[in-house]
Amino acid sequence: MSGVILEMKGIDMAFPGVQALDGVDFSLRAGEVHALLGENGAGKSTLIKCLTGVHRMDAGTIFLEGKKILPNSPQEAQHLGISTVYQEINLCPNLTVAENIFIGRQPMRRGQIDWKTINRRSQELMRLMGVDIDVTLPLTTFSIAVQQMASIARAVDINARVLILDEPTSSLDEHEVARLFEVMRDLKARGLGIVFITHFLNQVYQIADRITVLRNGRLVGEYMADEINKLELVTHMIGKDMNVIYDLKKAPQEEGAPVVLEASNLGIPGKVEEISLHVKKGELLGFAGLLGSGRTETAEMLFGVVKPSKGSVSMNGEKLVASSPLDSIRRKMAFCPEDRKRDGIVAELSVRENIGLAVQALRGFMHPMKPQEQQKLADRFIRLLSIQTPDAEKKVGELSGGNQQKVILARWMATQPDLLILDEPTRGIDVGAKAEIQRLMLEMCIGGMGIIFISSELDEIIRCANRIIVMRDLEKAAELDGEDCQQADILAIIANEETEEAMAE
Amino acid sequence: MKRGLKWDTILRSKLFWAVVAEFLILLVGFIIRPDFLNIQIRTLEDGTRVLFGTPIDILNRSSEITIIAMGMTLVIALGGTDISVGALVAVSGAIALKFLRWDVLEYTTPGDYSVMPFVYVLVVPLVVCTLMGLFNGTLVARLKIQPIIATLILMVAGRGIAQIVTDGKQFTTQYAPFKFIGNGSILGIPLPIIITFVVVAAMVVFVRKTSYGMFVEAVGINPNASRVSGIRSAVIIMIAYVLTGLLSGISGLIYSSRIISNDSNNAGLGYEMDAILAVVLGGTSMTGGKFTLVGTVVGSIIIRTITTLVFYFGIVSEAIMAFKALIIAGVIVLQSEPVRRAIARRREKRHINLGGELHA
Repeated sequence: MSGVILEMKGIDMAFPGVQALDGVDFSLRAGEVHALLGENGAGKSTLIKCLTGVHRMDAGTIFLEGKKILPNSPQEAQHLGISTVYQEINLCPNLTVAENIFIGRQPMRRGQIDWKTINRRSQELMRLMGVDIDVTLPLTTFSIAVQQMASIARAVDINARVLILDEPTSSLDEHEVARLFEVMRDLKARGLGIVFITHFLNQVYQIADRITVLRNGRLVGEYMADEINKLELVTHMIGKDMNVIYDLKKAPQEEGAPVVLEASNLGIPGKVEEISLHVKKGELLGFAGLLGSGRTETAEMLFGVVKPSKGSVSMNGEKLVASSPLDSIRRKMAFCPEDRKRDGIVAELSVRENIGLAVQALRGFMHPMKPQEQQKLADRFIRLLSIQTPDAEKKVGELSGGNQQKVILARWMATQPDLLILDEPTRGIDVGAKAEIQRLMLEMCIGGMGIIFISSELDEIIRCANRIIVMRDLEKAAELDGEDCQQADILAIIANEETEEAMAE
Repeated sequence: MKRGLKWDTILRSKLFWAVVAEFLILLVGFIIRPDFLNIQIRTLEDGTRVLFGTPIDILNRSSEITIIAMGMTLVIALGGTDISVGALVAVSGAIALKFLRWDVLEYTTPGDYSVMPFVYVLVVPLVVCTLMGLFNGTLVARLKIQPIIATLILMVAGRGIAQIVTDGKQFTTQYAPFKFIGNGSILGIPLPIIITFVVVAAMVVFVRKTSYGMFVEAVGINPNASRVSGIRSAVIIMIAYVLTGLLSGISGLIYSSRIISNDSNNAGLGYEMDAILAVVLGGTSMTGGKFTLVGTVVGSIIIRTITTLVFYFGIVSEAIMAFKALIIAGVIVLQSEPVRRAIARRREKRHINLGGELHA
């Protein structure tokens, strides 16, 4: 392995009330993939933002190839050879792939934009990424994976020596992840240093050479990926024993428990074929399937976010008529949506206001909660869910992902629902928070709540669910008993269609 | 540490800089003419005693915009705009004068009576403007038409309606109760100031004592999340436009009472822009979200102070608008994010240089 290209030493960074980084060291060698791990709030993003000039660190030094640097802005960092690809794709959806790759640095010819070069170069770059597409089509024509490749292509083409990938895989499916890893290996071979931030530990072992773990703004240690096992790694990350996580037990089921939610023949042509399901009191129904298999659409129909064009939903035996979220909330249903930023948090409002939002909506604005009442509600849930925030007045947008998710969970728990739908509640949050949310779900089930739990991670569904519905190609493919279900069974069902197709060919 | 933090937030708030700007403008006025800030009690011909002076005049004359801007704040916090308010001011005045002077078909001497019962003169314009607000709200909330386009309809049509109501004529009146609205005073305080105070107080109470304000902010910040949380955003949006309509009507009554006449062409002309400006100067962002009604009041007073200042120093009338724009540009620069941050940061640095414990 060749020499160190990036070295960060003794980085300190404080935000009002929090020491986000406390003397953190980090080094990156050329030609390696270096995973940066830690729970939410551990300081990963802050460290990256110090490196890319988004934040100005309070103390510490950064050396790039031996030279001291102090970038003031992401542009400056990029100029120095440090490129970042963020989790959310930062491109312009309405421009073509080629335009996106060259925007802001278009080659000119006789005072005009040299489209020929742009398109040719883009095609080459994308081919290097292993993607052969027509780069003159708008970005939105392509899948998220291709869009991600385009943003990497853009980042790499700007003379990058250090490439930072901030949770690049969270919106990709398995094939796409595999392709991304090929690209990463290729870039690595070309001598780039890659910083890889992720929550998926399996992926870390697939691709990373070295691992740096942060916790609470401090460096825990630096390890070679092949010298540390997963259990040790997680223990380092959360600082407590892993057994807590694997000690979860499914909610016991009572014979003849009443049905809370019943849906029959629910569907929207082209989105979800007719689906029927029911959830009993105290039962956790797992929803497995690939992204786009109709899981989220089903949840949205159940809750009335989108109006089903046929079929019916009833809660506690009463039919829901209006098909609106408010109507569902009135019938004691609750829904944590998949896209936390878009459909969940109200970023600029305080933790207190966010927690009280659904209860208040239920009451109507002319019957406001008293300030003390709001305060009490917020404080209770901050304690109950151990939401990490200095106080209830902090803006939700300033909390880490896991804590935001807990705030949304609190919002719904406050309405005391009989049925709670959770769409990917553990996505993009760290191991510790994940385990906590799973524990909370199971506790709520034991308390008598019915839960629909949608997740892409099969192991957590298998760990928690009493019953599992597998979705495939916009319809219910199978319903399994959660007690003796193996990951392989579910995978076989999900993969079924593809094999059939293959056979047909 | 705690106090340092608080100062930091204050220095970064737009409202703070709006207040600073207002004081700076007043200071300029005071330096150039020391009697600029004088307030005295004068006795009118009929024996009533009235507060008199530029500051009172500024407050009095800012009433129309302040009242409208209360509604505009909500509309803007919801991510919209309402550019029909000026036209609604004209409609309100036209209806009021029509009811006062139903008998007049030609320009005549002003009458000191009302043809219709005075209640009609007050209530009907407000009802009509409220309905127009409802129309705006329906287009925006139910039919999802872009606010600027939706309210453009009444901006254009409103003045036409005002013309139709009055047959294209301009009436004047000397009916005392009507004159009292814009020109009277209670305990020496001009009535428009009192009306404004009542409206502002009522709005603040409505918005902050119910959860309406929180819902407005939630919908303005994240409409999707608000909907999923069970907030009926259409109702919230509708209410904001209806209120803005009603408030424009009140403003129209004050305006037409001041000039004891209706003027379909000039009443409320440009009010939409002044109201929007008041909201923005007050610290509410055009992109929606968090809002402050008190800030809007300050914004409205700033606008009026500038106008008064410009008139006061007898700047040639052609240059007034340009001069006004110049000062407003200054205020906006003072409030802009980079400038506020720079000032806050400067302070921080000085803090460190003085050995302050930032990390303590």
